[in-house]
Amino acid sequence: MLENIAIIKEVQDLLPTKQAQAEGVELLDRLKLAHIGNLRVAQCKAEELFYVMFIRAMMTKKNSIVIDMPYAIIYNLQDIEQIIYNIELLNSKKKNIFIFDTLNHKTRYKNYLSS
Amino acid sequence: MIKFIESIGDKTINSFNSIYEALKFTFLCLIHMVNPHSYNPAMRMVLIKQIYFTAVTILPLFIFMASIFGSVIIGMVIGVATQYSLQENIGSIIVTFVINEFSPFFTALLISLRSGTAVNTEIAIMSVNKELNTLKEYDIDLIDYLFLPRIISGVISVTFLSILFALIMLSSGYIFTLFYMGMDLHIYTALLLNAVEIKDLIVLLFKSIAFGFVIMLIPIYSGFKTANSYSAIPISVLNGMVKLFIAIFFIEVLALLLQSL
Repeated sequence: MLENIAIIKEVQDLLPTKQAQAEGVELLDRLKLAHIGNLRVAQCKAEELFYVMFIRAMMTKKNSIVIDMPYAIIYNLQDIEQIIYNIELLNSKKKNIFIFDTLNHKTRYKNYLSS
Repeated sequence: MIKFIESIGDKTINSFNSIYEALKFTFLCLIHMVNPHSYNPAMRMVLIKQIYFTAVTILPLFIFMASIFGSVIIGMVIGVATQYSLQENIGSIIVTFVINEFSPFFTALLISLRSGTAVNTEIAIMSVNKELNTLKEYDIDLIDYLFLPRIISGVISVTFLSILFALIMLSSGYIFTLFYMGMDLHIYTALLLNAVEIKDLIVLLFKSIAFGFVIMLIPIYSGFKTANSYSAIPISVLNGMVKLFIAIFFIEVLALLLQSL
């Protein structure tokens, strides 16, 4: 997983591999996921893969991150609060983070929807 | 009749189109190869791994094959040369056969079968799984990150393995000459050193570089152009390998023609 995360910084900011991987470890560690650094995709759970994808998106130079249907990505996700709490932990400097979902999941976002 | 002519025209246009696309891809890879910005840390890491997988992990099999082929083929060459009273030219016959022809060609075949197929399948699977699109979305240049390290590793690996193959073949050939002709090591070495010319080394180098380049470029291109289904992967590997073997024979013939000029 670390290589997958580090590649973004290595290519876009030309960071040396060790430094880019250290940044990846630091971000994974904030979510208490440092142990997945040396695992391969097939060995990770859906939730762990989701955070790896999010960290990779965080590392790009784009202003916004779009999370498309988190309940489809993490099939056993109980509560969106958990995702939002972890995203806050990552302290992303992105201007916007959007979550797109279908109307049948509307009730799951009740705390975040304005009337 | 018109439909028949149209179909010939269609096929001709399609063939020219695919040749143009392939040449464009080759040109793009060459441009990236000379651009220093292509050599970012991620690319260098992939390059090191690729050289390890292509050139280092194959070494035990490669050394074994070179030793066996070395003694058998040099034995056959010496046997034929003796039969036709060409003992005086044994040195140049061995050098031409081993350095100019057999080493680069055999190395190219071995690396094609082992790494060419692997690279073709890998890129085809990545293409079908949309991993290539994901890399593009993250602004990662596919040529810099995926293709260039493989092409460079192909060139480096085939060149060094060809030289190694020639050295092992010539060394194991000595064992045969020792038992078959009772030839002294000093005489054998002198025979080879007198026969070898700079031209032979240049031919070995250029052929190895050309082989290494196509051994990776053609499977990569074939994998990259895979249609969007899993059943297209074996077809892509099959097409890639056929084109690769045609290219290897084409380089071999071209090198022979250039040497005969």
